[in-house]
Amino acid sequence: MNKDEPVHFFNDNTVIFDIQRFSLHDGPGIRTTVFFKGCPLSCAWCQNPESQNVRPELIFYKESCIQCFDCRKHCPENAISDHSMLRFDPKRCTLCGQCVTQCLTNSLRMIGKKWSAADLLGEIYKDIDFFIDSGGGITLSGGEPLLQANFLFQWLPMVKEKKIHTTLETCGLANWMQIEKLLPWIDIVFYDLKHMNDSIHKKFTGCGNAGILENFSRLSRSKSGLQARMPVIPGINNSVENIQATANFLKSNHHFSIHLLPYHNLGEAKLKRMYSQQHPMNIAPQNSEQLKQTQELFEKEKIHAVLYD
Amino acid sequence: MLFYTTDHLGRPVAEKKNLSRIFRLKEAVQKANPGICTDRSDIWTSYHKIPDNRKKSPHIRIAEALREVLMYKKIHIYPDELIVGNYSSKRVGGSIFPELHGVPVLLDIFKFSKRKVNPLQVSGKETWKLLKIIPFWSFRFLALKAYRSPFQLIRLLIHQLKGHFYIINESGGISHIAPDYAKLITVGTDGIVAEATRFQEKSGKDTEKWYFYEAVKIIANALAKFGDRYADLAQKMAESESDSNRKQELLEIAQICRNIPRKGASSFQEAVQSLFFAQIAINLESLDNSVCPGRMDQYLYPFYLKDIQHHKLTRDKAKEILSAFSIKTSEIIPVFSEYLTKIHGGMFNGQVVTVGGLQPDGTDGTNDLTYIFLEIMDELRMRQPNYHARISNHSPQKYMDQINQMLSGGSNSPALYNDTVIVDTMVQHGYSIEDARDYTGVGCVEPVAQGKSFSSTDAALVNVPLILELALNQGKRFGSWFRSGAKSMPVEKMQSMDDMKTAFEVQLADQLSRLMKDLQAIEIANRKYHPTPLSSCLLDGCLESGTCSTAGGARYNFSGIQCVAPADTGDSLYAIEKSVFIDKKITLPALVEQLIQNLSDKQLRSYLKGIEKFGNDHSDADKWTVYVINKFTDELNRYQNTRGGRYVTGLYSVTLHEYYGRITGALPNGRKMGESFSSGISPSNGMDRLGPTALINSINRIDFTKTANGINFNLKFDSRTLRGSTGKLALKNLLSTYFRKGGMQAQVNVLDPAILLAAKENPDLYPNLLVRVSGYSAYFNDLSLEMKDEIIRRSSLTN
Repeated sequence: MNKDEPVHFFNDNTVIFDIQRFSLHDGPGIRTTVFFKGCPLSCAWCQNPESQNVRPELIFYKESCIQCFDCRKHCPENAISDHSMLRFDPKRCTLCGQCVTQCLTNSLRMIGKKWSAADLLGEIYKDIDFFIDSGGGITLSGGEPLLQANFLFQWLPMVKEKKIHTTLETCGLANWMQIEKLLPWIDIVFYDLKHMNDSIHKKFTGCGNAGILENFSRLSRSKSGLQARMPVIPGINNSVENIQATANFLKSNHHFSIHLLPYHNLGEAKLKRMYSQQHPMNIAPQNSEQLKQTQELFEKEKIHAVLYD
Repeated sequence: MLFYTTDHLGRPVAEKKNLSRIFRLKEAVQKANPGICTDRSDIWTSYHKIPDNRKKSPHIRIAEALREVLMYKKIHIYPDELIVGNYSSKRVGGSIFPELHGVPVLLDIFKFSKRKVNPLQVSGKETWKLLKIIPFWSFRFLALKAYRSPFQLIRLLIHQLKGHFYIINESGGISHIAPDYAKLITVGTDGIVAEATRFQEKSGKDTEKWYFYEAVKIIANALAKFGDRYADLAQKMAESESDSNRKQELLEIAQICRNIPRKGASSFQEAVQSLFFAQIAINLESLDNSVCPGRMDQYLYPFYLKDIQHHKLTRDKAKEILSAFSIKTSEIIPVFSEYLTKIHGGMFNGQVVTVGGLQPDGTDGTNDLTYIFLEIMDELRMRQPNYHARISNHSPQKYMDQINQMLSGGSNSPALYNDTVIVDTMVQHGYSIEDARDYTGVGCVEPVAQGKSFSSTDAALVNVPLILELALNQGKRFGSWFRSGAKSMPVEKMQSMDDMKTAFEVQLADQLSRLMKDLQAIEIANRKYHPTPLSSCLLDGCLESGTCSTAGGARYNFSGIQCVAPADTGDSLYAIEKSVFIDKKITLPALVEQLIQNLSDKQLRSYLKGIEKFGNDHSDADKWTVYVINKFTDELNRYQNTRGGRYVTGLYSVTLHEYYGRITGALPNGRKMGESFSSGISPSNGMDRLGPTALINSINRIDFTKTANGINFNLKFDSRTLRGSTGKLALKNLLSTYFRKGGMQAQVNVLDPAILLAAKENPDLYPNLLVRVSGYSAYFNDLSLEMKDEIIRRSSLTN
């Protein structure tokens, strides 16, 4: 896929940047998590910054590069640079992928691969026996899977026909009609609530929260397997006010629990490897004491809070 | 009842210290420095130095020599002991078998106490005693007698000192049995003598059979007298014992040892004591390795039940007795030379105890003793015995849950065996269904029928990647002028993978035929010079047929040949197919040239390493490992051992994959010269990248009916992955899918890499950190540096 091609939403194929088997913490049982590429938000703390762009993109692992410059010989756009951190010039690169196939040390990698519905089904089906025995299934993650709703309309019925349990992890920013149409094929929705204040939400994620909150309210009325989650970002959304606001919002929607995902900065190491406008946040990850405090604040508001580790 | 507790590193929890007898016994054994005992070699030598003795029938000679050992070896009863009997004169010790592998081992005589890995204490006086026997045995040890042609002899010496293509373990004796202890504890040695006498009367005097029966009578009586010696000792100790409780215990021990092993056991404690005396004696008869009590929870259960019903025993007391027995099995260690230590690291004796599983009638055999044993293995966490648990469709949920709880909690015992697959495989290999259902593992992972099989399961281990090297160089090792294999097609002429396969098969056939020649000479030497009347009288079929087990008297007679590093070989074949014939990145001669240059071209090497590998649920890559295993088995099927049984394939490597790796050149899978191969059936080191579900799918592509000698499959987790209830449940589900889909065997390692690294840096802080090596457990500190590194690598699936 050329970067100058217009982005369109695929029907019978999609872009996946990772498939993780034996996932244990994204829903019940043993699961395979499918990471869709592309997200309407660009959260400053994003763990998978390579997931934000809906197009495939090139990343560079400087530590394994042996500087043979075989890539240069094969680059039709003369986009290979001598820069020690980023081997390619993103302005010239057309993502043709020639360098990736030439790179014998796997230092240049294409993030995101096109998958057809049938192939993707075949891939997840490999662990069907483990799903059956453990009560597991697949988890759609990303990126934002709902960005690829047109693909999911096609693909999820095929998955369901195989009686595979499905979990969706979403930021909630999507067209309600599309969400509604997908609901019959989804067993559990993990729904992120990042911040209750619209302008702070916009500052750190690039978008306001109005649509997200509205979709949550609608979903809470129509979906039994809904679970709110919150990435706990120190100094940004763990204030007493935000926690109270979140708790009030949940209660007003008759939802009485939340899963807390601790912030860590592993994602920021990836920023260096790719061409990204984003900068590391440089926040120290919180210790278990601080996390416990957040948990207790929710519990005080009568919201049951489950802490992930 | 918990006797004491240990933390996850096997360190005792301080406040419980000294609470119980079992804790004190364990501590005494773990604190003892392993040493070499000269009793057996001294007595064996004195007996054989008398020329008249050497002229006797070998059956009589072995029986009498062993009788002398049992009569005159030093015996001890240590403080607190309930189950008595000492393998050697040291608290933890091993014996030298000068007539077997003793002479090559004794070449290391001045190194034992100084070497870094598995040092063994030996005093100046003992060294002198050992030196004195060398001249007598130098031209009399077994392997030397086996090979009469000078050419074979030279090869033998090279192999004994430096095995490259294969290593024959049988030259040190055979063993690897699960004796019929049920019979011993039921009829006693008197019953065996009576049976032998009946048969002997029907056979002509001075025939081979007559001597065999005579030998059985001699050794069975000697075993009874061995018990008497302990009875006398206990009696004497009781007289001078001031503590009245201990005095009473000693008197009871005296009473027990007076009764058994001569008579059938009349109580649970007598049964355990009786089989332990036999356990000691069999370990002194031939190779002191893999003499396996086997299915103790099954054959001891009637004794347990009877005592419980008559209120002569409580569950706690039974647990105490079995714990004492369990600790006893750690008092024996093998005496290996430095070279053998590389092959069999970790001072491992392979005494398997199996719990759970089907009974011969097909119903589930899980009972109270099964659960007692599960508690013991979790609480003791010692090097021996090697605990196995059988899993069948009928295994109760409670049993499964308890095992899962132990494994996810970091206990590396038990190893798990799938009844459905193993019973089926054994039946296909000629076992009756009842005998197959009564299987136990011996040694590391090898299934045999309890009391009925004489399977030399660890007969030899073959370096399979080296066979591929020969196939790539017309039968010569890289850089060698000397042809060590057959002549096969030069790589320049190979047009397709079929040509490559043909060359590999030619070399495989050639190496296995060489192995068979050497091995069968050893088999015959064992029969001719080192029969084993004691083992034989506890193996079904030998008494009926009047034939020693070394001569094929037992009901079932297999020999296990290990296919070492099938994944490295299979991945290399796939790398050739992909790079040369599919991607056409390189020609085969150029690839071989690079292998000779030890893959100096970094780009090529990383390309080769990047090609799909076994263990990632990739059918194109996996099929080559399956091909290697199947070809190996097909080739073995062409031979029959001299005891009339089949050769069967085993997929375990003990610690030999590390040694073989060190002496083998670069491989097309990107592995450089000298790097370790993968253990057992594990993927090439670090090459399983898609997690345990993909790994299991790959493993289950193997046809386990072709691996009748067992597989060693390590499932490795870092402790973080299996944390909490989610992790425990995941492990349980993972294993149940693996077994439901036809997996044969698995052992689980849950280890924290950080702890292993710390233990490597500061061995003294982690004296008893137990890890799974290859179908068995060893203390981390007893392993070589290379093996420690491998365990650390293994400790996490995700690199």
